[in-house]
Amino acid sequence: MPADLDNSSTASGEASVSSSGNQPPAPPPKSAAGAKKKRNLPGMPDPEAEVIALSPKTLLATNRFVCEICNKGFQRDQNLQLHRRGHNLPWKLRQRSSKEVKKRVYVCPEPTCVHHDPSRALGDLTGIKKHFCRKHGEKKWKCDKCSKKYAVQSDWKAHSKICGTREYKCDCGTLFSRRDSFITHRAFCDALAEESARAHTQPPPNPNPGPASPNPNQESDPKVQADSSSPPQAPAASPAAPVVASQSTGVMASSTVLPVQGPELTDHPSQIIEDVPAPKPAPIVPPLPTASAGFNGSCSSNTSSSSNGSTSSSVFASLFASSNGPGSLQPSQTPVFTDLMRAIGQSDHSTDLAPPPSVEPVSLCLSTSHGSSIFGTAGQERRQYAPPPQPAMSATALLQKAAQMGAAATNASLLRGLGIVSSSSPSAQQDNMQWGHRQVEPENASVPSGLGLGLPCDESSGLKELMMGTPIFGPKQTTLDFLGLGMAASASPSGGLSALITSIGGGLDVARATTSFGGAEFTAKDMGRSS
Amino acid sequence: MKQTQTHQRTRPWPGFPTSKSSSLGSFGDTNCMEQLLVHCANAIESNDATLAQQILWVLNNIAPPDGDSNQRLTCGFLRALIARAAKNGTCKLLAAMANAHCNLALHTHKFTVMELASFVDLTPWHRFGFTAANAAILEAVEGYSVIHIVDLSLTHCMQIPTLVDALANRFEVAPLIKLTVVDAKEDAPPTLDLSHEELGSKLINFARSRNVMMEFRVVHSSYADGFSSLIEQLRVQHLVYAESGEALVINCHMMLHYVPEETLPGINPNANSNPYNNFEPSSSSLSSSCMSSLRTMFLKSLRSLDPTVVVLVDEDVDLTSNNLVCRLRSAFNYLWIPYDTVDTFLPKGSTQRQWYEADIYWKIENVIAHEGLQRVERLEPKTRWVQRMRNANFRGISFGEEAASEVRAMLDEHAAGWGLKKEEDDLVLTWKGHNVVFATAWMPV
Repeated sequence: MPADLDNSSTASGEASVSSSGNQPPAPPPKSAAGAKKKRNLPGMPDPEAEVIALSPKTLLATNRFVCEICNKGFQRDQNLQLHRRGHNLPWKLRQRSSKEVKKRVYVCPEPTCVHHDPSRALGDLTGIKKHFCRKHGEKKWKCDKCSKKYAVQSDWKAHSKICGTREYKCDCGTLFSRRDSFITHRAFCDALAEESARAHTQPPPNPNPGPASPNPNQESDPKVQADSSSPPQAPAASPAAPVVASQSTGVMASSTVLPVQGPELTDHPSQIIEDVPAPKPAPIVPPLPTASAGFNGSCSSNTSSSSNGSTSSSVFASLFASSNGPGSLQPSQTPVFTDLMRAIGQSDHSTDLAPPPSVEPVSLCLSTSHGSSIFGTAGQERRQYAPPPQPAMSATALLQKAAQMGAAATNASLLRGLGIVSSSSPSAQQDNMQWGHRQVEPENASVPSGLGLGLPCDESSGLKELMMGTPIFGPKQTTLDFLGLGMAASASPSGGLSALITSIGGGLDVARATTSFGGAEFTAKDMGRSS
Repeated sequence: MKQTQTHQRTRPWPGFPTSKSSSLGSFGDTNCMEQLLVHCANAIESNDATLAQQILWVLNNIAPPDGDSNQRLTCGFLRALIARAAKNGTCKLLAAMANAHCNLALHTHKFTVMELASFVDLTPWHRFGFTAANAAILEAVEGYSVIHIVDLSLTHCMQIPTLVDALANRFEVAPLIKLTVVDAKEDAPPTLDLSHEELGSKLINFARSRNVMMEFRVVHSSYADGFSSLIEQLRVQHLVYAESGEALVINCHMMLHYVPEETLPGINPNANSNPYNNFEPSSSSLSSSCMSSLRTMFLKSLRSLDPTVVVLVDEDVDLTSNNLVCRLRSAFNYLWIPYDTVDTFLPKGSTQRQWYEADIYWKIENVIAHEGLQRVERLEPKTRWVQRMRNANFRGISFGEEAASEVRAMLDEHAAGWGLKKEEDDLVLTWKGHNVVFATAWMPV
């Protein structure tokens, strides 16, 4: 999957520009000229060379060496001489004495042209011919497709081969023939937001109307804040990371959950966090180290500021912004959660994988209908922070994407199995809890998370049925599920957990789940191990 | 779809009836339609309800809302006239008719940002101004490291991405872009379902992907008072930044015609709320009153900011007359163009086409059915804007060959009817030879 992503972003040169993140665009190659001499550097002929000035007529004459017998014309005298041999005519091939060959250079017959000056003569006959045609000649070769005209036939041929193929492609899959169309689309397309969320480890600048900080580097960078003092156990959480990173597409299923909100959130993680009126009780914070470790592989982040709810939350936000999908694992804080979901929702667009069409409506239902009733206090907050769903995507766009996603979806069985956990049947509660316990068993960090999760899932009884019975979530379930589990595991008293679970799976008994996991007392370390 | 629709478009050239849709005889031609509309307008204005209704009945039959482009154009005016009559109460019986039409009533679509982005690409209508303006701006800001762009546009910053992209490509060290947009409470179409803040964060994000730093600011300001609060803010900024070598770019894209001009009587902005203290209502003659309208004062105060460049793009038509019939004729002989072009880029019956035409109808209704402050579509032709700019001490900048060729390349991608005309310094977009949109660039004398 990562490969697919890469391909799509580099498929068009344009797209790759944006993915270059902070790197400055490749500078014009002029600086390289000094180091090694360019081939055919125009206008720097060998001073010893013989300068040839041909009239335009001679220059353009295609077959000026004509056989007097058969009237066949040749471009070069040498060829004519060879031809004359066939007629048994006297012929003369110039002997090439390797020593005596004098280099010839050619000037342009057009007096106003810079290459008219012998000091700027060009090194070969073909070159001067093409130059003359291109710059001073009539453009008589016209492309049938785009009406572009060329003076040199070979240029026209070369163009004809690629005409119409040079299109601009956005990561969302839309093609454009014109750069300005592409640019306008690109600027507002969610694909860019996702990409930058991926490319930038720091959150985007505060989108507030006030003067935004012009320097993104001034923004707090999660990695910078990360402290190596994080507990060694933290890596245990890393199994999750691969899933997230490589299967961010999988997460996309969540786009179905909150498809509408997707785009904006990543854009303003920080802003939204700031709006949080009363940070949830402190216990929330501990999960952070694990979570961040899981996300940013190398980044073992330990927020020393964990005592401060709001600070940590902003860190969360930034993490989410940078690492698209997986964020769901960490935060048990509601607002952050929504944030996260949005981030996930965003990341979806660029990826080819996505739930089959049927999935979307269902998950949409879940997120909205269940949300309000079950959320409780958390629900209220969620509504507060998450803007109401907006029709950000047109119906056609949704369908289109859904179709793409469906086509790409392959890894069904395992993931689907996972999906069960989040399904809403009553028996699932039990399974879920079992799963939770199982998780406590340390898993090797190197084990791909998907597998790790999948195994316990399969073992638990009744899961299979559930799995079968929950086509709703389709193949993408891994991550989704994952989110659910992660949240459950790190269950904090805050309603965020329940909100999450409900929004994902619908019918889970929140209370039971929470208690079984030990509620808020679960420490980050524990979490790290378990997940 | 009725039989009449199958006929081809009947109005390639206004004033030269070429209608072949003869199911209703000569009624089908555009001259006749225009005449009927004029008569109807006169009847309504003179309270002749009977005549008005008779004509409306005829128009109603020859101009189905789903007919050809001229029929739809006429239908738009018909509906607008009905709305006017019903509103004025002059023809009370028409209220019923208005109700009958209310299902056709105006539903301007709230665009998503992606819808709008693709809309802008359907036709050169906006893209022409974008391309020309970008070229002029690019030239004018050469060498500045900070560029303050004030985007006075109806299109919700749709021009900005290409401008940012061009700046990023043009300069080795990308300049800092400060973008100021206006949040006018009044909503003229197209409307967007995205807040300015969200729009801004998208733009900032995009700029960053091009390695351009961008600051985004929204100023709440109304065109009804000549953007007075915007001017105030810019003035303050000007004090701070002018010395630091910051370029100030005023990009006016089809927005300035909302600023009230001389034919709008009774607009006496009170001295407390806006900077144009010396405003005095006066006659409708431009020459005698050009010192006093909000439009004039706005340009003067723009000039006082010493902008690096002002780009003024707008539709080339005069809709300022206080006489309904004049306005109707003028609008009818301009607004056929959007209806005529739509066939080239949107299929019949498509939803997008409904949105597009709803926005045109919004304009028709505004011009025909409304009066006073409500009538905001006060377009002026290029010649008059040029005069205004010169009076305000601006000097025209010529669009370079580069700008022209970029516009031409863009037009090549669209239907054959589009053309580019160079008029002195300015560029004019044409459709079948008729002026559509003009682009002018200015700098302080």
